[in-house]
Amino acid sequence: MRRPRSLQLRLALTVGLAVSVMWLGSVAYTTQKLRVELDGVYDSALRDSARRLLRLVGAGPERRPPQSGKNDGARVVAETADVDRFAFVILGSEGDVILQSEGADPAQFPAFERRGFGQTEEHALFFDSAPRGEERLTIVVAEPLSRREAQTREIAIRLSLPLLLVIPPSLVVIFLVVGRSLAPMRQLRRDLEARSSRNLAPLGDRDLPSELTPIVGSIDGLLARLAAAFEAERSFAANAAHELRTPVAGAIAQAQRLQVETGDPKAASRAQEIETTLKRLNGLSEKLLQMARAEGAQLRTGTETDLRPILEMIVGDFERLDVEGRLHLTLAEAPILSDLDPDAFGILLRNLIENALKHGTTGAPIRIGLVEPAVLTVSSAGPVIPQADLDRLTARFARAGGARAGTGLGLAIVRTIAERADAVLELRSPAPGRAEGIEVRVALPARNRAG
Amino acid sequence: MRILLIEDDHVLGEAVRDQLLADSHSTDWVQRLDHAGEALKVGAFELVLLDLMLPDGQGVPFLRALRARGDVTPVIILTALDQVSDRIAGLNAGADDYMVKPFDLSELSARIGSVARRYAGNPNPLVEVGALQIDLAARTIRSDGRPVLLTAREWALFEAFVQAPGRVFSKSQLEEHLYSFDANIESNTIEVHVSRLRKKLGRAVIETERGLGYRLASA
Repeated sequence: MRRPRSLQLRLALTVGLAVSVMWLGSVAYTTQKLRVELDGVYDSALRDSARRLLRLVGAGPERRPPQSGKNDGARVVAETADVDRFAFVILGSEGDVILQSEGADPAQFPAFERRGFGQTEEHALFFDSAPRGEERLTIVVAEPLSRREAQTREIAIRLSLPLLLVIPPSLVVIFLVVGRSLAPMRQLRRDLEARSSRNLAPLGDRDLPSELTPIVGSIDGLLARLAAAFEAERSFAANAAHELRTPVAGAIAQAQRLQVETGDPKAASRAQEIETTLKRLNGLSEKLLQMARAEGAQLRTGTETDLRPILEMIVGDFERLDVEGRLHLTLAEAPILSDLDPDAFGILLRNLIENALKHGTTGAPIRIGLVEPAVLTVSSAGPVIPQADLDRLTARFARAGGARAGTGLGLAIVRTIAERADAVLELRSPAPGRAEGIEVRVALPARNRAG
Repeated sequence: MRILLIEDDHVLGEAVRDQLLADSHSTDWVQRLDHAGEALKVGAFELVLLDLMLPDGQGVPFLRALRARGDVTPVIILTALDQVSDRIAGLNAGADDYMVKPFDLSELSARIGSVARRYAGNPNPLVEVGALQIDLAARTIRSDGRPVLLTAREWALFEAFVQAPGRVFSKSQLEEHLYSFDANIESNTIEVHVSRLRKKLGRAVIETERGLGYRLASA
């Protein structure tokens, strides 16, 4: 049998079982002891009855004469309360029956051998003898053992009955007490469950039993290391961006100044080429930084933000560039709350729009939607892409070099962010509701609407 | 317009400064935040271009402190930090715009113009003064449909008037606008430029408030 997973149940069962076994054991012991005692009592009752019966028929030391005839004696015997449990037979010296209990068969009684106790399989016996006149009467009293057993059983039952009544409630009490003792543990578990997996704040000092303190300490240490790692990654990304971008920005700006300031058209065109190359270099380094971020950064922050202003900000960036009003926006009325890192969302969206601008039909509108619960769609016009190519695009390691060269890194970044943030990325061509084009749909981690 | 450029990278700073000068903005360029703080105490700037990662500190706290002091000078952040969260932090600290490096210098010029116009209360770059049609974004002036060409210094002065119609500028305030063109401004430089503007645009365009300074004609 599998052990129960719950510590509370396991403890309650073990303790409850142990207590019950001990109680039942003590009942058994008490019963046994009582049985021995009772046997003594029964035995002396048997002996007393034998002597009394002998006296009744006029035998014994007192030598009391019989008050009346046989039948009277039998009647007296029958009326003697404590005697009706027994069967007996009193024999004279010649083996003649002087008196017997009702229904007793003298043949079934063992012969008298000596005074004292005896036993058959079904009866406890007492043999006695006493003189009556010239005669020597013998008596055999038999008590059915079943009687004694019934009595013992009854005592055992009477002893056990309260236990049987007490055990279930005490099991419940044990279960509750154990549960109560485990309350801090349950609270800890609830806290851990309630906090999102992205919350890296320490659990803190919470007055826990000493058994739990080291566990909480370890968890806090782990969380701190994790937070430090994420922070290091973040500051590395920021520094790398700064170190890479600033000189490139300077060179581009100088190249632009040169184009304006020089009067030599040849120099101007060279400066233009330098600028273009630098921008390409910058684009590449930007993609690499984005990829590093997508792969290394914490993508779910644990705090929810409205994604709509971020989308508007980024679409605004593109609109400032020369996109001839190609971007058409559909935004939900209510806030789109998600704990996706705003930066990651920015990178994801930027790449999708860049791809749409790069690969969609020139001049055709690009539709961007962000709707409940948190579904981002970017669709652009263009030829239908066969399913096989779509599959290749969404496959994990399909990068540049696929059917449409260039989609690789941008979509790889999108894919990485989607995977790591538990978002669902889908590519559909033709775009839903249209005959051509492609729609990229990302179901972002949305706020749990129940909560 | 007088602009304070805070940028520690020499190559980029130089190109940006030259672009601003070519746009007829007078420009002070500092490479450290402490120098920027001193410059802001002394000079009256109409716009600040702020890099975020400087050798002696971060731009965002600097900007926050500036706003906390009640300084409402427009600020455009120029930074290599391109993440959404960086941008939100910059804008929340009180920046008016946020440009990610590398940027096109022409884009920078356009944004400066747009922020300045927004501050002047009129985001529309097209302004009419009397018979003059002025396009602040394109930096062109037409007088009765005929284009008028201004030098960089003349434009720097005239733009100040157009962006604050009705305001009286003292001679020293106008000198601020020309500050970076000439290290030594002669005592009569303003008079000389005002008289050239009047010659090109019409006598009535700039009025003299005796003892106070000059202002744009109200109609």
